Amino acid sequence: MEQVIVNGVYLGSQYAMIALGLTLIFALMNVLNFAHGQMYVIGGFVTYTFYGQFGLPFVLALLMSCVTLAVLGALIEKFLFGPVIRRSAREESTMLLAAGIAFLLDAVILLVFGEKQRGVPKIVDGVFNWDFRIIIPYDRILICFLAILSIVAFISYMQFTRTGRALRAIAQDRVAAELMGVNVNRYSMIGFALGAMLAGLVGGLLVTITGVNLGMGGPTSIKAFMMVMIGGAGVISGAILGGFILGMLEAVGLAVLSQYGDITYLAIFVALMIFLAIRPQGLMGKPWG
Amino acid sequence: MQRRNMLTAVTAALALSVIPGSAALAQNPVLKIGFVGVTSGPAAAWGTSNQRSMETRAAWINETGGYKIGDVTYDIEIVSFDDQKDPKRAIAGMEKMAQEGIHYVVGPNVDDGAAAVRPVAEANGIIYFPYAFPKPLYTAPASNAVLGMVANYQSGPAIYKYLKEDRGVRTVAFIAANESDPLSQRDSGREAAEALGLEVVSANVTYQVDTTDFTPVLTPVIRTNPDLLVLSGVTPASAPQLIRSARELGFQGLISTETAQDAQVLRESAGDLANGFISVGGASTPEIASDMMKEFVARYTDMFGEYNDESNTKVYALEYILATLAANPAAIDDVEAFKQTMDTFEAPNPYMKGDAMMRYVGVSSFGQRRQIAVPLVVNVFQDGEFETLFVAEVD
Amino acid sequence: MLSRADTHRLPLVLGFAVFLIAVFLLVPFLISVTGRWNFYFTLTSVALLSVASAGVWLTFYIGRINIGQGAFALIGAYVSAILVTKAGVSFWVSLPAAGLFAGMVAIVIGLPILRLRGVYFAMITLVLTEVVRLTALALPITNGAKGIVSIPLPGELSLFGITIIPDFATIENPKLAFYYTACVLMVVCFASMYRIVNSRLGQLCRSMQQNEELASSVGVNIAYLRVIVFAISSFFGGLGGAMFGAIAQSVYPSSFVVKDSIDFMLNCFLGGLGYVFGPMLGTLVLYFGWDLLFELGRYQLLVYSGTLILLILVLPNGLLSIRFDRIRGLWK
Repeated sequence: MEQVIVNGVYLGSQYAMIALGLTLIFALMNVLNFAHGQMYVIGGFVTYTFYGQFGLPFVLALLMSCVTLAVLGALIEKFLFGPVIRRSAREESTMLLAAGIAFLLDAVILLVFGEKQRGVPKIVDGVFNWDFRIIIPYDRILICFLAILSIVAFISYMQFTRTGRALRAIAQDRVAAELMGVNVNRYSMIGFALGAMLAGLVGGLLVTITGVNLGMGGPTSIKAFMMVMIGGAGVISGAILGGFILGMLEAVGLAVLSQYGDITYLAIFVALMIFLAIRPQGLMGKPWG
Repeated sequence: MQRRNMLTAVTAALALSVIPGSAALAQNPVLKIGFVGVTSGPAAAWGTSNQRSMETRAAWINETGGYKIGDVTYDIEIVSFDDQKDPKRAIAGMEKMAQEGIHYVVGPNVDDGAAAVRPVAEANGIIYFPYAFPKPLYTAPASNAVLGMVANYQSGPAIYKYLKEDRGVRTVAFIAANESDPLSQRDSGREAAEALGLEVVSANVTYQVDTTDFTPVLTPVIRTNPDLLVLSGVTPASAPQLIRSARELGFQGLISTETAQDAQVLRESAGDLANGFISVGGASTPEIASDMMKEFVARYTDMFGEYNDESNTKVYALEYILATLAANPAAIDDVEAFKQTMDTFEAPNPYMKGDAMMRYVGVSSFGQRRQIAVPLVVNVFQDGEFETLFVAEVD
Repeated sequence: MLSRADTHRLPLVLGFAVFLIAVFLLVPFLISVTGRWNFYFTLTSVALLSVASAGVWLTFYIGRINIGQGAFALIGAYVSAILVTKAGVSFWVSLPAAGLFAGMVAIVIGLPILRLRGVYFAMITLVLTEVVRLTALALPITNGAKGIVSIPLPGELSLFGITIIPDFATIENPKLAFYYTACVLMVVCFASMYRIVNSRLGQLCRSMQQNEELASSVGVNIAYLRVIVFAISSFFGGLGGAMFGAIAQSVYPSSFVVKDSIDFMLNCFLGGLGYVFGPMLGTLVLYFGWDLLFELGRYQLLVYSGTLILLILVLPNGLLSIRFDRIRGLWK
């Protein structure tokens, strides 16, 4: 059982980080960013290229992932989402744009990085083994720790800086924020860049453990949606909670239901549907998103 | 401004891609061979290794003057269609092939696609070479599909038997993704293991195709402590992750699969942890590769930058098509003639050392010759390379 | 009054006639002239996928983002395949049965989940697609991972001894037969959609789309209405799926997956949410576009997605919005 809990916490911290960027973008612009997973994959490939191929220090490669994605995110917001949101009659229409961008990034990833699974050398060797009750490799502990650290850093950034305050104001009420003198366009761009950067960061972190391939994008986006919905759309704490809950659900579900075989995931998904039907705004969300 | 830039980029891409297509200044008549498979998305590696090995071989043939079938020497052109692993697209792809007047097609890569294209192939007189294992595709009344590799219900028993006798394996656990192909392979693998008298300690655990972290999935499997862990129908992308998680959870036994893998991928993503991993491969290990195989690998690497070991098994389909056509030139636009030739066809296998033969097999599995005889090469991964464990034949 | 309604109707009737001629006469004529026989399947696909997309459009009409149509298409495909292979029912009976079964499932599932809105409804329908796929993998009647294969072609349909539809297996060109069947299905489906939208039900839906509380406060039974619309939507999905199963003569759990559900939704967006015929045009452009770019090889996806993004930038409210913009421009 201890192992199951450790698995859950570890998986949860990964998931929470992925969900964080997605929910930030959703909160700011009401955009369900289908391309989030692709951004995560690009982050992974950038770290792979700099750390795995060029042999630069891991931290530097991670930084490159963040910078690349932040720039990419800012450009996408400025030239694509911004104009389309301003001109579309129904804001759901941005989902088509998001999907188009996801296809485009998929095409670029395929052309630039190829179709193979990629991996990098381990950053730390060795496995922590407590009497075969808890087994966890050191690099996972490190990544889990880094993930939690980044989450804390992100939350304090949102809480204590001027930019963070502006972003929260926009998330709460876009019009009111504009009336109070917040430059909504500029901060939307910053927010989108921040969300994309988080995707790049987690992609870079996880490439050391899960590796990266071009097919991971779409499924990652969908998984991230689920976490966001469990926690409540557009709520930062909800995304984190959602990530941890889905991680736990998977770890516990797999441990408890494994003897029932093929229906493990069926049970997990049905449970999710029932949960959402009973509590439609997620755990911490505003009702009716 | 930005829109105009995008436009130029798109136009440039368009122009770029059209040029090489029209630049083939062929003096010989062109023989088109089709490929319908997945070359984008999560399973892109499967189809890409197919497509690239076909293109490498075609370029090689054309460079050396073409392929002689009967009295005519042909240049070979590969027409590829990306079905995105969607059976509906696969049908469209097969229709496209029929439209192009193509009678010989390699692919699709997965069960549902192979089943879906059957009506089109049979209606239009197309012989196709799927990389999918379901027996109904190859047993009568179906007659236009030819299995392009060794099925896991053929390789599995051979591997399990070897491991049982030589390595003393007694207990087996299976793990598979919850998708048609892997689950079917798990079921037939389980039957094979039980028929050999092995004890199956776990065969229920499945994982979502998009899983990237397998530790939670593997934890209950490893608890059953099997001698052998079989990764049924595993994709090259998932294999190293599964191996890594299993080893890190302290698993000491053997790990094997019946699908083809890539050494580079294993090396990068699992490193030394993948040592001892048993998989099925083609003929590129140094012990058995002929000079022609070595040249093929070199040309592939030249053309695409990096070789993919999955192509070891995928180099064969095109070779079989051409060699069979050479044996019976009437088959070039008559698949019935092709089918007749299949029963008697025999030619030396150019990719393997020794006197291995290319011929059509499958009588014991399908009741008719609807499978190409690829050597069943069982590899073991050791220090970054594949080594041949043993070679067997399928009948 | 009457004459005004008539003049209003005239262009509609004309347009409808032109459309019918184009679909049933012009396309087959062009194909036989150019010899591009493979377009039959592509256009058949477009017709069937647009039927399923029409269902999604209808749920948009009551203000719900539906990413679950793949689930109902898969249900439809399985119901038809099981009826044909295991119960020996004629395909022409199994087709409406598939639609009805999908509609019934939609009622059962819709009752609890239609209370949800916005992204939450979108999410739950997305999960539904995966749930149906996994159910198909787990159930014995669907033959699990092995799928249902070797489904016979649609047989003869006769009424009082008169053959209405001949046996597809005896037809020289089943491709053409499937094309006509799919087009008839599409025409009927969109005609009924048009009818629904311009009926009292359509009015009520529009009022719901704007404000459900308000609609409910003026006495609209919104719970009932939502479920009915969702059931009709899923009925369309089931029909489309069942026809596809008949063409492929096989059904697998992966015949319709999450990606298909998302595609159905994108078709609606691209065509335009404000136009009944949006999903048809959207499907044509998205599906046919991919096939037309086949020649580009490895750049296919790049050009496809690039063009898609350009289209959205120019016409964020869907392809059909272009016409209305121009008309408004002429007036000014």
